[in-house]
Amino acid sequence: MSLFLGCTSSPKKETNFYDLEVEKFSSSVKLLLTDLEFLKKEILKVNANKPSVQRILIEADDKWMEEDLKKASSALERGLRIAKDESALYLRLAHLRLEQGLIKESSAFAERGLLNKNASSWELLLLKIYSAQK
Amino acid sequence: MKLSLKLITYLSLIIFSVISIAYVSILDSKVVNKLDGVLWTVPAKVYARPLELAEGGKINVDVLKKELEILSYELTKGIPDTPGEFSQSQRSVNIFIRGFGSQEPGLYRLKIENDKIDSIKRKDGISIDLIQLEPLSIGGMFPSHLQDRILLNFSQVPKDLEEMILVVEDRNFYSHKGISLRSIMRAFIKNTRALGIEEGGSTITQQLAKSLFFSPEQTIKRKIKEAIAALLIEIHYSKQEILLAYINDVFIAQSGRRAIHGFGLASQFFFGTDLKNLSLDQKALLVGMLKGPSLYSPINNPDRAKTRRDLVLSLIKNDSLITEEEYLDLKGRSLKVIPPSFKSLSKYPAFNDIVTLDLRKNFDDSDLRTKGLKIITNLDPVVQDYLEESIKDTKLQLKRRYGSQLNGLEGAGIVIDSFSGEVVAAIGSTKPNNYGFNRAINAVRPIGSLVKPFIYLSALQHYSKYNLSTLLDDSKLSVSLPGGKLWEPNNFDKKFHGNIPLHVALSESYNVATTRLGMDLGYSVVQETFTKLGIKKKIPKYPSIFVGSFEMTPLEVIQAYQTIASEGFYSPLNSIRTVESSEDVLSLSYPYKVEQRFRPEPIYLLKFVLKQTFISGTARGFSSRVIEKWKTGGKTGTSDDQRDSWFVGYAGNYLMVVWLGFDDNRKSPLTGRTGALQVWKNFMSRLDPIAYEVRKPSRIRYEWVDTKDGLLSGERCKGSILIPFVEGTEPEMIPQNRKKCRISEESYTAKVLNKIKEAIEVK
Repeated sequence: MSLFLGCTSSPKKETNFYDLEVEKFSSSVKLLLTDLEFLKKEILKVNANKPSVQRILIEADDKWMEEDLKKASSALERGLRIAKDESALYLRLAHLRLEQGLIKESSAFAERGLLNKNASSWELLLLKIYSAQK
Repeated sequence: MKLSLKLITYLSLIIFSVISIAYVSILDSKVVNKLDGVLWTVPAKVYARPLELAEGGKINVDVLKKELEILSYELTKGIPDTPGEFSQSQRSVNIFIRGFGSQEPGLYRLKIENDKIDSIKRKDGISIDLIQLEPLSIGGMFPSHLQDRILLNFSQVPKDLEEMILVVEDRNFYSHKGISLRSIMRAFIKNTRALGIEEGGSTITQQLAKSLFFSPEQTIKRKIKEAIAALLIEIHYSKQEILLAYINDVFIAQSGRRAIHGFGLASQFFFGTDLKNLSLDQKALLVGMLKGPSLYSPINNPDRAKTRRDLVLSLIKNDSLITEEEYLDLKGRSLKVIPPSFKSLSKYPAFNDIVTLDLRKNFDDSDLRTKGLKIITNLDPVVQDYLEESIKDTKLQLKRRYGSQLNGLEGAGIVIDSFSGEVVAAIGSTKPNNYGFNRAINAVRPIGSLVKPFIYLSALQHYSKYNLSTLLDDSKLSVSLPGGKLWEPNNFDKKFHGNIPLHVALSESYNVATTRLGMDLGYSVVQETFTKLGIKKKIPKYPSIFVGSFEMTPLEVIQAYQTIASEGFYSPLNSIRTVESSEDVLSLSYPYKVEQRFRPEPIYLLKFVLKQTFISGTARGFSSRVIEKWKTGGKTGTSDDQRDSWFVGYAGNYLMVVWLGFDDNRKSPLTGRTGALQVWKNFMSRLDPIAYEVRKPSRIRYEWVDTKDGLLSGERCKGSILIPFVEGTEPEMIPQNRKKCRISEESYTAKVLNKIKEAIEVK
């Protein structure tokens, strides 16, 4: 945590990870920016809060592993219909769209995820990586 | 002479034989052609979205109950014990699900707390995280003969159903060659005695031949043709293939103009579930109907249908397929069929038109009418019903108020999920079930003030020049038009207001200030915003365009507002979720498409003003609790001489557009507020949506400003309002007389500390 706290510009201002410039992060975090496979592994570690969405995530991840991107995407979209406040869904969709070659959509899903009030700091950081692709 | 008679006889015999052979050959090719091809042309079925109930998911219990009612679930007291029943207690709902696709039928208990599903448990107490209700069948894409069916393969036909059919219809099916002389003789003797047709004596093969090629009339000539066709069927096909064709083809019911064929569709039609989920008494009812689909219809003649069902049950008991005990249990059960979900070609004609438009992008007409596609749409049947009820109720109320002036009032409405662009409900008339001109997609009308948010959004993207407190000029304006004419816009209240802050100009919907703003921005800047909002038309270059002479359909309007309601993310409207082939292999999915067209900040500012419409503007009248709960915002629109009454607004994830007016374009007494808004209000009050919290963009800061001059003010100053700014664009100036009433951060902190001290001292 302290790694990120140092980046705030004003001591008065409340820490807001949405504001952070990802390029300013440490080298370990920079690995996320350069190695897509490493990033994907991190994304797949993000779980959902609701058990019903978590079940859908597992289904989507299985399809993803089988390289059935369409079915993985359908499952994640089904998850979004159930809950729009699960960062795990936005992160996976952002990465999946990237694999599908849809860079603008990848970024858009990440930007949407950034508006999710329930997102944790780590999730916001990961989302910022995708949103910065534009 | 003798010779010539013989010759004539021979010739006659030869001609007869040639004709007979030709007839049989033609019939033979018909048999093969029909059974191999035409019979298997299955119309596409259209369904609403299946409702998913998830542990932890948000839920409105009234909406769930409405969904269950639409799906013909019966409210019972106590714990439901048969499929299609539900009960409700203070904090739980018990549903006996009928089953659909991979969703097992069974009893599920939903515990609900604070508009959330706390847990879902099966009858045996095991927790389940997700269940799915069967989707409502809402229509089909029918060929001209209007025969509808769901094709089954042999593995999908329950063994007990097969046995039951054979016991009742054709005991010797596996031993005869298409016709049974024994059955014919038995029927002949019985009919001779009765001096009429009392018993058919037809085998299953003959019945199949009859339904495929011949009319229902009972003549000797037709019987002979039927027998020949039956023999030909037996030559070409195995017994299993014949029985399967019969199960798929037999006529079971008529629903309006639609003919229900086969057990697969009959199961869905009468019981709302797959054939595999039917109980024996339900199967017996269907088998009993084969003798006379109309005579033994459980909908029109329930007593006769029950007697016939019980007879079928006694026949299978006599054949030892069930025990005496089972027979008594099954016989004691009521019929419990569901009413048909739709009678004409589609339950929701206007929505169906939108689905057809979307389908035509990927499928040709013949695919839709013959390939048995299963189309899962985004239609939400509860939202659709609320929409229909709202427009009908509101029209009645308005007619009571305005009388005959509103004779012939028409309307349209569309509801979408603004997050995804999914179209969830649509009506194209104030009589929503009527076919005909669909105003939701075809009525091109001037949109009045609905255009204004597009102009203001164009401005708010230029942070350095425009913010919510920027002063706009609302004094008299004269614009020279080509040809020397002068155009002078006026405000609805016929007054000019001088310099006013931008947020006031929009929330009060001032025409003159908006025209000046549009002209300052320029047509190309405004055009760019229109395009980003998904409006495909080019705007004409005349100034009245900025105050609403621009024409759009309700469908185009809701697409444009989708991007605003959805925080700047554009998603193309879409009425279809998936299209599956009859083998349940995914044929086509319609994935979420999303594109960020605007930064969140200008959208946040615009939505702040659209919320003001509900607080103090043209949509005022809602409680602050409701405005906060729904996270609502919207805009009224009235065209010249009140020929069009519009409202578009969002609440929760729902975005709805309403248009009211006359097809002949005559004047109406309705404004956007007194007409279309009332439909919106009626609808949203029924739905009472639950909104998701959205994070405020980090660069947004709030400041107290004056509602007249737009300069800095304070909480304690008169005529001040707290409004959002993009960081760094806040006004810097504060007039001397307001310095006292503006509470600085320090003094505010001091004030809070003092209050805490006071509280401690009191304690």
